[in-house]
Amino acid sequence: MGVRVGQQAPDFEAMAFVSGGFKKVKLSDYKDKWVVLCFYPADFTFV
Amino acid sequence: MAISTDTHFVHKVWQENELSKMVEGGVPYPLVSDAGGKIGTLYGVYDEQAGINIRGRFIIDPDGIIQAMEILSPPVGRNVDELIRQLQAYQHVRQTGGNEVCPSGWRPGKTVLKPGPDLVGNVWRVWKPAEAFK
Repeated sequence: MGVRVGQQAPDFEAMAFVSGGFKKVKLSDYKDKWVVLCFYPADFTFV
Repeated sequence: MAISTDTHFVHKVWQENELSKMVEGGVPYPLVSDAGGKIGTLYGVYDEQAGINIRGRFIIDPDGIIQAMEILSPPVGRNVDELIRQLQAYQHVRQTGGNEVCPSGWRPGKTVLKPGPDLVGNVWRVWKPAEAFK
């Protein structure tokens, strides 16, 4: 599995911690906005 | 948004106990939980053996199309300046309806190129390699 530039970004829905609370976020709720997705290994790691 | 395989509960503790000490008020974007790596798998950045997502970064435009991606292995961090530069460049291209494109090293205010028959073989007249730097 994987993605490429020029393709539709796969939609997803997941729990998140946002501005002090828990919230379900959905990528497609951000349509009409620029979005940066940053994956990273884990909280409390060093880099 | 930032995504790891940690739960949203761990994200809360991290934001409140560490991130908020580096950035006043904590980071202003959602910390998304990808427990199980389903989202990372969709984007090709989930490492099943380690059970974590590697450092994948995607710029998605207002139509939901991926315009840029970068993938780093865990021990090296990203360059936020470069992310912002790419975002500004893609936004510029979109604003001009693709009539202007951004050559190497482009930043707002630097030379843009207008693709067309007249530019073929003539890029050297309007753009110098020194512009690729700084």
